[in-house]
Amino acid sequence: MQYPEGDVPGTPGMNTVNQRFRPPLTPWGQARLDAARPLVGPKAVPGEENSPTLRCDPDGPPKVLNHPNPFEIVQIPGRMFMFFEEQHIWRTIWADGRALPKDPDPSYLGYAVGKWEGDTFVVETIGFNDKVWADAYGDPRSEQTHLTERYRRLNHDTLELQVTIDDPKSYTKPWVSPPKLHKLESGWEIAEWFCVAEEDKSYDETVRKPAGVAPASNK
Amino acid sequence: MKEAEDKSLRPQLCLTNFPFPQILIPPQLPLFPLLRRTILRMTYATALATMLAMPILAPILSAQTNQPSGTAQTPGRAAATTPPLSHDLSGVWMQYPDGDVPGVPGMNAVSNKTRPPLTPWGQAKFDAAKPLVGPRAVPGVENNPELRCEPDGPPKLLNLPNPFEIVQIPGRVLMFFELGHIWREIWTDGRPLPKDPDPTYLGYSVGKWEGDTFVVDTIGFNDKLWDDSYGDPRSDATHLTERYRRLNHDTLELQIIIDDPKAYTKAWVSPPKLHKLEPAWEIAEWFCVLDEDKAYDEVVRKPAGLAPAANK
Repeated sequence: MQYPEGDVPGTPGMNTVNQRFRPPLTPWGQARLDAARPLVGPKAVPGEENSPTLRCDPDGPPKVLNHPNPFEIVQIPGRMFMFFEEQHIWRTIWADGRALPKDPDPSYLGYAVGKWEGDTFVVETIGFNDKVWADAYGDPRSEQTHLTERYRRLNHDTLELQVTIDDPKSYTKPWVSPPKLHKLESGWEIAEWFCVAEEDKSYDETVRKPAGVAPASNK
Repeated sequence: MKEAEDKSLRPQLCLTNFPFPQILIPPQLPLFPLLRRTILRMTYATALATMLAMPILAPILSAQTNQPSGTAQTPGRAAATTPPLSHDLSGVWMQYPDGDVPGVPGMNAVSNKTRPPLTPWGQAKFDAAKPLVGPRAVPGVENNPELRCEPDGPPKLLNLPNPFEIVQIPGRVLMFFELGHIWREIWTDGRPLPKDPDPTYLGYSVGKWEGDTFVVDTIGFNDKLWDDSYGDPRSDATHLTERYRRLNHDTLELQIIIDDPKAYTKAWVSPPKLHKLEPAWEIAEWFCVLDEDKAYDEVVRKPAGLAPAANK
């Protein structure tokens, strides 16, 4: 479970992708950001939110690595699995020496391969679609994204993760976030937490309005 | 579950009473891998309905099922003489097709033909269900939970042309389904079923080996899904039992028993179904996404709805 660290006032931000290090956007990226109506952060406007999460679009990396969202890692020969509580997402990271595919079909999770470099497990992912955001604030994720995750277990209870987003279609240079720390939660089990559009009728009452109240100064 | 009913349909008897067609996917049904690859490029509901309603497979399947049972050699029967069976279920498995309903390429781990009578509660749920396929399908009024992209759960998840991968790790068996990109975990660390679990789509599962059979017990379901594609209900009183046996290297047998006293008057015991190991397959990403299903009406619902016109 990621250690909390708020970037944005009023938001409990647990951001493996750190907004403060975001490089300037390309024109394409800027248009995408302008079209995004996030639920949280300085751009949030109550009643106009269009976060893909509101339609229960599956979350993918790197956004699925943000938030108060515990994940479990399981290693088997040739593969690493990651299980995220949020939306019950699972992803496969191939660790059998295979290369990244040449022209993968765009997908929510992308195609991921990983290998050890010394003490660091380095995951490279390509083949993303551009339907979800890179973070909760509407920063875009284009099909050209090459995502790098560097995992290091600093001690028994502490996992460090550093995320680098290389997306030349959206950003003018690679977006390098500082490492974030995660705590081993040995007593936890990943629960079932699906995003079900039907069940989100109570969403307006419980989340949208309270969240929308915070950035009222933007109105 | 009642012990007597249970025994009456246990595997030995089933293997003789339910002759399986010998269908080897690559040579005899070359359409199938192609269909799978094609459906992967469709949206979720489009593909689902296409698989369920695709009439092109029906003649092939009925030709296969019409084979005299004396000439049909099931992989299970061939393998029954070579014990011990493997306790390793790892791999990607794909169910052999076997149609229950005419015109539908049914791949049903839950067999409609063995369904017990419904309770009044079950009948009301069933009457309210408007399935996409089967004799009760009525075009334009379908209300399958998957049309709203609700996550599929067992036992329905075990039906359909839906490959799954099994991974065994210490204390757990993991199952990964292509349909809906669902994963579930089955605890094998000896823990008992929980006393009063919160209702969920997937339920809470524990498993253990009984001889050559891996037995999975699941409770804690919600009642938002159906047991199958035909609208048969799944209540929160469901106790699901799955019995997995690896008959030989390439063949996995699965028998499903639904004990749901709220919906059915007795336990629903389906005959075992066979699954083929697909060593070259990898589970692809196939999410149900509401956004992408706008083309559904044009592409699938209307054509699919034409099939059961006799019901109108």
